[in-house]
Amino acid sequence: MIRAEHVTYSYRGNVQTVRDLSFHIQKGEFVAILGENGAGKTTTVKLIDGLLCPTSGQMLVNGLDTAKTRVSERAKQVGFLFQNPDRQICQSTVREEIAFGLRAVWGKKETDKIEERTDELLRLFSFRGDEEPFSLSRGQRQQVALASTLAVKPAVLILDEPTTGLDYRECTRIMEFIRSLNETEGTTVVMVCHDMEVVLDYARRALVMAGGQLLADGPVHEIFRDAALMEKASLLPPQIIQISGQLGGEFASADDAETLSDMIARAAERRQA
Amino acid sequence: MTDLFQYVPGNTPLHRMNPITKILLTLSVCIAAFLTDNLFVLLFLLVFDLMIGVVAGAARKAFSIFRGLFKVSLFLFVLQALFVRRGNRLFWIITDEGLLTAASVVLRLLVVCLPLALVLTVTQVSDIANAMVQVLHVPYAYAFTLTTAIRFIPQFMEEMSGIMEAQTARGVEFDSQNFFKKLGMLLPLCAPLLISSVRRTGATATAAEVRGFDLRTRESGYKRYGFGLVDLAALLISAALITGAVLIP
Repeated sequence: MIRAEHVTYSYRGNVQTVRDLSFHIQKGEFVAILGENGAGKTTTVKLIDGLLCPTSGQMLVNGLDTAKTRVSERAKQVGFLFQNPDRQICQSTVREEIAFGLRAVWGKKETDKIEERTDELLRLFSFRGDEEPFSLSRGQRQQVALASTLAVKPAVLILDEPTTGLDYRECTRIMEFIRSLNETEGTTVVMVCHDMEVVLDYARRALVMAGGQLLADGPVHEIFRDAALMEKASLLPPQIIQISGQLGGEFASADDAETLSDMIARAAERRQA
Repeated sequence: MTDLFQYVPGNTPLHRMNPITKILLTLSVCIAAFLTDNLFVLLFLLVFDLMIGVVAGAARKAFSIFRGLFKVSLFLFVLQALFVRRGNRLFWIITDEGLLTAASVVLRLLVVCLPLALVLTVTQVSDIANAMVQVLHVPYAYAFTLTTAIRFIPQFMEEMSGIMEAQTARGVEFDSQNFFKKLGMLLPLCAPLLISSVRRTGATATAAEVRGFDLRTRESGYKRYGFGLVDLAALLISAALITGAVLIP
């Protein structure tokens, strides 16, 4: 679905922001890109979306070179949910906001089709069409932005720090929706996220970046268990992994547990045995 | 483009100069440009601007501003040449006076814009505000308003580019060659820009108030802005520029 081949990118031809990136993401995967600030995560997702074109190398999405694909064609393939929903929202009602992206991609003549899809999304997200997006809460605005991103049914969904500034309930609602989309529709999800708990809960594969380079690529659990890698990438694994790591010697079999109760249960089983 | 109004640290005579002197020098270049119609004087002022850029260690920036303005100037030149009908006709509807007026308007635009951008390259915005309060006795609220407006320009430009990026990701084709189509695409973006600006302004006002904005007086600044030899030289140059512009026909 997404193939990066020796991709390098430099802003204004100066320092290389990402260097020699190569990876392959299959259809239906849920991938997290991890790394400290300045590691090149956002540049990488912008390269996938075609907002930036590689200085050298090639970025292919669904077999199409992003540097040579038209903006509207790219938007059909890839949806991008930005960290700040206020940069995406530009219409005076939620209905208009959802229809805006559809008009840009499908064309203004497809009135019936646009109307139908807008109604479908309003129902799905339980929004009132005449609500003013800017008067909604931060979490609701993020949901409006997500709804308008999903309107064109993109095959790939990119999330750039989607949970920043959201409370637990808002974060869970958005992430659960994305998970169901990934599991039922087979949408490929690429997420940049600083919240390691969210990454552990939702992503299945992680790409770790540092200094513009790819340090590691593998299943989330394996990545988080690699203490040397975490140290090198200046990352702190989720608490559950840290605890299981510390108890690893005593409860060696419990380090792949996903919840604390699961880990305690396994450790108790082991002790009884 | 966002770094156009950004301060570049340095230790050149222009960096060390009193902020008020720098503003006076800038104003005198602008006044001289508006007082003269002589193309050679305007050309001299343009060279003087570029020299200021070189002395300030910002030659590259000065030339890049010049290049950027050149495109606008060219458009302005064509308009002026087409619409000024006085003088002798040279060809089609173009007259000699039309060409001269177009050249002086364009040169004036370049001469005036360059030092305004350069003064912000060699002066921190906070120094301009503090010096205005300390030396010119301008109330701090007014100086703050001016400097905040300057400081917000690159932020707005960055915000606008972020908004355009977000809309491009949704399929809006800003790379259209049709000017009116492009304008139609840009208009809806005014809403998010305006809302983010109002939010930012509110946040800045709150931040200023909690830090004792109302308590600020002329005596509050710990930095003193004195006048030295370099300031005297700049004031003499300023006077010479204005005198030259008036005296040279």
